Amino acid sequence: MAAMFSQNPLMNGPNYSFNDAPRTAAPEGARQHRFDPYTDNGGSTLAIAGADFTIMAGDTRLTSGYSINSRYHPKLFKIGGTTADQKDATIVLSVVGFAADGEALKERLDAICKMYRYRHGKPMSVKACAQRLSTILYQKRFFPYYVYAILGGLDEEGKGAVYSYDPVGSYEREQCRAGGAAASLIMPFLDNQVNFKNQYEPGSGVGHALQERERKPLTRSEGEVLVKDAFDGAVERHIEVGDGLQMMVITKDGIEEVLLPLKKD
Amino acid sequence: MFMARSEYDRGINTFSPEGRLFQVEYSLEAIKLGSTAIGVATSEGVILGVEKRVTSTLLETSSVEKIVEIDRHIGTAMSGLQADARSMIEHARVECQSHAFNYNEKLRVESCTQAICDLALRFGESADGEESIMSRPFGVALLIAGYDEDGPSLYHAEPSGTFYRYDAKAIGSGSEGAQAELQNEYHKSLTLEDAETLVLKTLKQVMEEKLDAKNVQLASVTKDKGFRIYTDEEMAAVVARLPAN
Repeated sequence: MAAMFSQNPLMNGPNYSFNDAPRTAAPEGARQHRFDPYTDNGGSTLAIAGADFTIMAGDTRLTSGYSINSRYHPKLFKIGGTTADQKDATIVLSVVGFAADGEALKERLDAICKMYRYRHGKPMSVKACAQRLSTILYQKRFFPYYVYAILGGLDEEGKGAVYSYDPVGSYEREQCRAGGAAASLIMPFLDNQVNFKNQYEPGSGVGHALQERERKPLTRSEGEVLVKDAFDGAVERHIEVGDGLQMMVITKDGIEEVLLPLKKD
Repeated sequence: MFMARSEYDRGINTFSPEGRLFQVEYSLEAIKLGSTAIGVATSEGVILGVEKRVTSTLLETSSVEKIVEIDRHIGTAMSGLQADARSMIEHARVECQSHAFNYNEKLRVESCTQAICDLALRFGESADGEESIMSRPFGVALLIAGYDEDGPSLYHAEPSGTFYRYDAKAIGSGSEGAQAELQNEYHKSLTLEDAETLVLKTLKQVMEEKLDAKNVQLASVTKDKGFRIYTDEEMAAVVARLPAN
C-alpha cells in the first residue's frame, strides 16, 4: 500500500501482483507468502480545458517494474455512448496507476452512464458524471481503485471541463491536470504554460507592483502543441513513459482521436 | 365492475379469468372516497390545490396535511388513504436526495414519478430480489408537481403503478365533475394567478362544505421559488379574489 502514495514506485523496488516475501526477514527454513493486489503500471496522463474544447492525453506504455508489458495499452476511454464503438460519446475518462483497476472503473462508469440514459431519458452531463465518479471511488474507500482518474468533456455552457480525482474520490474542476508517473514533471510545466504562473509583464514594476501576465484561454492548436511538448519532456526523464501518445479532443462536434509516436527507449 | 365476484378478488396477485386484478381495481375505488385534489400546470409553474375535510369545528385545520414537499423542486398532493402516501413520499424523498448526492443535480419530475410507481406493485408475495413492503396495493393517488430542466410538469400516479402527465388533473371524490370543469376552462396561456383561481373555483364547485381559506390549501412549484405551500395570508388573498356566487 505504501507504494500507492509514492510518486516513484521504483524507490520501493519493482511491484508485482504476486510478491515473494522478503526472505531475509523470515526465520530460517520458513517462507512467507502474501498477496499484493496492486501493481503500478506507470505511464502518465494529461488534460487541458479550453474555451470550447477539452484535450485529454495519455501515453500508451504499460510497465511493471523494469519490464514493458505493452507498447500500446490505452489509458483514455470514451464514456456513455450508445454504441459499441462509443461513436456518439461526449465524455472521456483517463486512468493511470493500476491498469486493471482503471479498466474496471471505466467499465463501471460506462455501465452507469448507459443506465442513466435509460432511466432519465437524457445523456449524463459531465457535471453529473463527475459527481458519480467521485461516489464510485469513495464507495471503495477501504479497498480503493488504485487509479488517478481525470474526466473531461464540455459543460452545460459548452466550455471545456476537466475534473481530476485522487484514488478515493476527492475531486476538483480545473483548467489543466497531469496525472501518473510523470505528473510531478509535467504539472509545473502546465502551471507555467497554461495558467501563466510565475510569468510577469516585463517592466511593469518591482516587488508588489509587478503585474502578472494576463491569462487568456488557449487555442486548440496551442493546447495540442503543449501536450506534445509535455510528453516529449516526460519521456526524456521518466522511464515508465513512452511508446505512443494517445490524444482525444472533445468539441461540440464530437471526439477526435489522434495517435502520435513517442520514443520507445 | 362488481359482477362475478369470486375467489379471484381475494388473492392479491391473482388474475381473474377475465384478466383483471380485483384488489388493484378496488384500490382505485378507495381513491374515489378521498377528498378532491387538483393540479394545474401553466408555463410559469404548477398549482396544486386540495380540499381539507373539516369534520369538526374542534379540528385544528393546519394538522390536515394533504400537500407535502418531496424536494425543493417537487411537491405532491394526495387523495385516498393518507397513511399509505407516507411510505411513497418517503421513498420519493430518498430517491431525490440520493440522486442529488450521486449526480450533483436535481432529479427530474418524471424520474421521481417513476420511482414512486416502482413501489406500487410491490405488494403481496415478494418477487425474487425485490422486497415486498405492502400486503395490499396502495389506497392513495398522487398528483406530482415539479419544475426541472424541461420546465414545469404535472404527473398523476395511481396505485396500479401507471402514471401519465397532465396539463390539468383532478382526483378524489369530486374528480369527475372537477375534471369536466378543467376540461372546459383550461388553456395553454393560463398565468399562475389564473391557475390559482381555476383550482379554487373548481374545488368550490365540487366541495360539499362552503369553501373558505381554512378548508382548502394551495401550493405552487415555480422556477424561482421551487415548491411552496401558501401561507394563511396568501390563501385568504386568493379566496378573496374568487367571484362570489
